[in-house]
Amino acid sequence: MDEDYSTGSADADREMTRLWRTWRTVFEMLQDRGYEVTEEEVQIPLHEFKSKYSDPLGYPDRNKMKVSARPTEAMQAKYTPLPSKSNPDPQPDCGTVYVEFCPDASGVGTKQVRAFNHFVDENNFHTGVFITQTPISPSAVRLLSGIPGRICEHFQEQDLLVNITRHELVPKHVLLSPEEKAKLLERYRLKESQLPRMQVSDPVARYLGLRRGQVVKIIRKSETAGRYASYRWVI
Amino acid sequence: MPVNQTPLRTSLPTTHAAASDSSRRQQKKPQNQSNSGVDPRHMAIALHHAHRIQAQKDTESLILDRILDLVAFPHSPTADPSSPSPEDARLFKNALFPFQPTDYDNLIQERNIEGLCGYGLCPREHRREEGGGMFRIRYGAKGSGPGGRGREMNIVPKEKLEMWCSDECAERAMYIRVQLAQEPVWERRGDDTRNKDLVLLEEGREQQGRGMRSGGNTATVGQVAGQLENMHMHGPEARDMAAQMQELSLRSQELALERGDSSTGAFQQGGRVGVQIIENENISHAVAPPQMRPEDIQGGSIEGFFPKPQE
Repeated sequence: MDEDYSTGSADADREMTRLWRTWRTVFEMLQDRGYEVTEEEVQIPLHEFKSKYSDPLGYPDRNKMKVSARPTEAMQAKYTPLPSKSNPDPQPDCGTVYVEFCPDASGVGTKQVRAFNHFVDENNFHTGVFITQTPISPSAVRLLSGIPGRICEHFQEQDLLVNITRHELVPKHVLLSPEEKAKLLERYRLKESQLPRMQVSDPVARYLGLRRGQVVKIIRKSETAGRYASYRWVI
Repeated sequence: MPVNQTPLRTSLPTTHAAASDSSRRQQKKPQNQSNSGVDPRHMAIALHHAHRIQAQKDTESLILDRILDLVAFPHSPTADPSSPSPEDARLFKNALFPFQPTDYDNLIQERNIEGLCGYGLCPREHRREEGGGMFRIRYGAKGSGPGGRGREMNIVPKEKLEMWCSDECAERAMYIRVQLAQEPVWERRGDDTRNKDLVLLEEGREQQGRGMRSGGNTATVGQVAGQLENMHMHGPEARDMAAQMQELSLRSQELALERGDSSTGAFQQGGRVGVQIIENENISHAVAPPQMRPEDIQGGSIEGFFPKPQE
């Protein structure tokens, strides 16, 4: 304890705490998406995080903060498309995720994004999550979404300070698997285009990493019915 | 068709299957039509739109590539932005062809992130304003203030100042920006030349200077001829001079016609279209005042219903 006070100024402490909250949200996000993360990783206490990811001055060392996780069986099942005539044995459309915190404090442009893209591509990660402290430039956003066959997402640290899905006004969003989606459409005799919609840029959709064409079930509390489920088609 | 080689990114499964592999499409087409009864017109429309979207995406990636190229421009660290090498200027202008002003802003931002001046032909670093504060006060040259006294004063956001290495570069970059077309390149018409002949500030100044000089010359010819007539000069040499001036001004008019100046243009005399003015006849007559008719004694009918007289 004594060491902590001597090395880290109040400023460093503040930044460390903020980053710790972001870090926890990232793990909660990975867990909610269905990746394999342990409960200890999600519930990491502040002092442990501090000792692990701070530099000698007490400031966070973002270069150390890299995470990769594999999808669970359940997630793979959810992301496996229905077998069709042309594709009788479909493979799940998900894979290892890689999360990186960008150490640059300002001015994140195409250079850093290109390096990130290269790393994701080289190590054959399916999904990449790039977390920066400041907004990234528009061309960097375009570059990030431009790798064919891979999914790269971007978040700002301050967007993940609190986990928005834990807020009491945010209902529970559950991703439907292709079978469940087919059943739903059959049951209500709908085409998917007749469902209510939700944007991929929606904060919860971004949190869950939803893709175009997926359907989520939204479960709300209802005063009259107890629970009320509605569905959204992600566009 | 080059578009067919790249796989289409579309949500229409039939379109995707049809367009993703042209050879497969060739084989499948007759079977497809007989089986699912796809209307070829619908198919053609869907394909048309898919190709347009694909072309748009290709253009966007092209612009992104150009931005990435221009971030590290010019390649020689000693290049002078006030007199760029013709090769650099040509490359720069060519690269800017598909740009919109917003893309140009992205380029400036990207260059600044790299630590360079926002102007594409300047290899220097952008300046850094010391100290805090969001704004800076800029003073103009002496005598630029209101009424020609004092100095002009501008309050400028700090980040705007930090975009450039100097005010000159800012002017050069903005000179390019206002020439860029607002419409995206896929909506421009083929004969649109707006982005094709961009002019750098230095070139523009040079042209303007030349234009000023030549314009000044024609003006003086006309003015001098007019002044000569007004002066009522006498003597043979004066008449001779007046005749010469007359000739000169005629010649300058011819030249102007060749240049296509509108003031003495061929259309000026006759007008571009024949305008015929035809007055409409005034068909309204004097309005007669309403006359009392026999059925109006009771007050008349209300849509065919005659109210009974009240006792």
